[in-house]
Amino acid sequence: MRQPSVRFRPSDVVDFVVVGSGAAGGIVAKELATAGLTVVVLEQGPRLEPRQFEHDEFKYFFRSGIVNDPELQPQTFAPTPNEEAKKDAGVLLYARLVGGGSVHFTANYWRFHEIDFVEASRHGPISGTGFADWPITYAELEPYYTKAEWELGVSGTPGPFDAPRSRPYPLPPLPVKSSGVLFERACKQLGLHPQPTPLAILSQPFRGRNACQHCGFCFGFGCEFGAKSSTLYTVIPVAEATGRCEIRPNSYARKIAMEERTGRAIGVVYFDDHKVEQLQRARAVVVCANGAETARLLLMSQSRRFPDGLANSSGLVGKYLMFNGYCTAGGTFERRLNDWKSVADSRMVHDFYDTDPARGFYGGGGIDARFAAYPIGFALGGLVGGLAPDAPTWGPEYKRLLRESYSRTMYVAGHTTSLPLQSNAVSLDPLLKDAWGLPALRFTYQYHPDDVATMRFMQVKALEILEAAGARRSWADPVQAPNFSVHLLGTCRMGNDPRMSVVDRYHRTHDVSNLFLCDGSSFVTAGRGQPTCTIQALAYRVGEHIVEFARRGEI
Amino acid sequence: MLIDAVSRRAFLAASCGAFASVWLPADPDELRASLAYAARACQAAHPPAWDFFTPAQAADVDAIAAQILPTDDLPGAREAGAVYFMDHSLATWAQQQREAFSGGLAELNRQATHRWPGAGRFAALSSERQTELLHVIEQTPFFQMMRLHTVTATFANPSWGGNRDKVGWRILDFEDRFVWQPPFGDYDADAAK
Repeated sequence: MRQPSVRFRPSDVVDFVVVGSGAAGGIVAKELATAGLTVVVLEQGPRLEPRQFEHDEFKYFFRSGIVNDPELQPQTFAPTPNEEAKKDAGVLLYARLVGGGSVHFTANYWRFHEIDFVEASRHGPISGTGFADWPITYAELEPYYTKAEWELGVSGTPGPFDAPRSRPYPLPPLPVKSSGVLFERACKQLGLHPQPTPLAILSQPFRGRNACQHCGFCFGFGCEFGAKSSTLYTVIPVAEATGRCEIRPNSYARKIAMEERTGRAIGVVYFDDHKVEQLQRARAVVVCANGAETARLLLMSQSRRFPDGLANSSGLVGKYLMFNGYCTAGGTFERRLNDWKSVADSRMVHDFYDTDPARGFYGGGGIDARFAAYPIGFALGGLVGGLAPDAPTWGPEYKRLLRESYSRTMYVAGHTTSLPLQSNAVSLDPLLKDAWGLPALRFTYQYHPDDVATMRFMQVKALEILEAAGARRSWADPVQAPNFSVHLLGTCRMGNDPRMSVVDRYHRTHDVSNLFLCDGSSFVTAGRGQPTCTIQALAYRVGEHIVEFARRGEI
Repeated sequence: MLIDAVSRRAFLAASCGAFASVWLPADPDELRASLAYAARACQAAHPPAWDFFTPAQAADVDAIAAQILPTDDLPGAREAGAVYFMDHSLATWAQQQREAFSGGLAELNRQATHRWPGAGRFAALSSERQTELLHVIEQTPFFQMMRLHTVTATFANPSWGGNRDKVGWRILDFEDRFVWQPPFGDYDADAAK
């Protein structure tokens, strides 16, 4: 078994405690440790080695294999704050292990476009929403996108709608799948501009890691070859090798410890793996716990000085939760695609990325050809794909269709914008507790009408593509109820105005000078469905700035 | 409306499609025992004794599963051993669903007797009558639960006690491997020519 390279005692005052070891936390830890600072990373989940990942759909998708378990950490949901939030009515889902969401994500790795940062001034305002510009631009983030792609390992080819980039991708695209061949042909016929999907999966060996072996178990699974560019295989080992960073698994943060007199953070209180409370002392705290748990941790850290939750003078902690719209159309073809092999998707278009005022609504997105349905999920039908909605659900014809379709189906998926609504929010349930006795996470969410209009528009485009691709049969899947997401964005938004945002342009909370937040919670707008690339670019950027602040004694 | 905790969790699975925890978490010892059981069950020439079902209940469950994923020129849920998966799960990590199973089966048999007095339990009915009765109840939480369990048992990893000899995956033409090489399907093969 692995031994941590360094162990700190909770009573040691380290330079930083980082809460969360995922897409952002792993990078922040590595940036701080390699700059000479001492770091303890508190991760609520276990540490698994690549050989411990399994191809076990039942365990991973139905028994909370590596994700938050609703039995231990229940949640409540209602569409609006005025309705009673009910248990098990919805779920904000995240990977709960060292590496976090970067372990089990599908690894779509899209940069934002320039427009994403300045959309509100271009297309806004939109009444009843918190639609706003980011306090940073694409140009400011570009060096960190490049750093993420080159340090972590991303495979792709620049496309015609990409924002300017200082370097190409470090690795060529992964092999095209049958869905990609059909999609590319159809899109060209329709005058669109298909391109290989950029993926944080290695098409060739890179920095001592294996290339993808095309097993087909990306979405929802950990990669047993280490070919997915998770922080678990990339930056976390680098952080540990410095001898200054301890990754501490099974450590569930419950409160940011504050010194009331100065209003400064002095560490983080967490439950260790025996459910015993510990206080890890530190000079500063960076929370990278994801867009649901970061907000929850601040709200749980309320005190006399911060009665509405820590760093919440704006009242916006937890507010403006955004998911990204996701909609699909399915099609079956004459011959075999076998799209259950290899990565989830290999071709996409960004022709409809921008808002077009002529459409009459705000929104846009990317469209890709994908198949990420495993046997049980496909047979049950649902979010990840299945038979056409009007197909029988049991009996001889059901079985015949399953048999015919599993290898002959693909989905054309729209990944779209979500407007920030203040009523879409993460909060603490007033009654329900988790298995540690902490307030359960409550969330409210409903679509803005423009979010739905965008998804409908994308489905029409998806059906056109399937038809042009020669699908024998195609259908639009029902748009899902907004009670489930793996994209957790916007709940501690970034901004220059302390009344309108939670963190500043360097991810420092407006209210507590030695408390930083960096993950999906920092997002001001939702982008178009693939947030991880931007989360990681932000993490590289914040890491660099925090190191500078520390050197100048400005924390 | 769905009434108990189990149904709520099944509802979550149906509404979320995936990523829902329908079954309670097992502790590591239970999991190990489950895997050992599955290994024994796969090797046994004769089916093991029932851990939870009565023989009559097992026959009914097997008949329902065989209606949901019938045997034709390819094996179905019966050959996949779906009933063994369910029996073992109810005896170990899905004990909270026992009532829903037992109650649902009792109600199904009550309806069978009401419709065809003297014809015996569900498992003894002709296939046509079984189909007819299942169509009557197909919107009920009980049937939805049976479908969920049958599909899961048939298509989950064999280590969970169903999908014997991977017959479920043969239905789908799916093969679980760690390494594939392009071309993956007919269309990318053609394009590569």
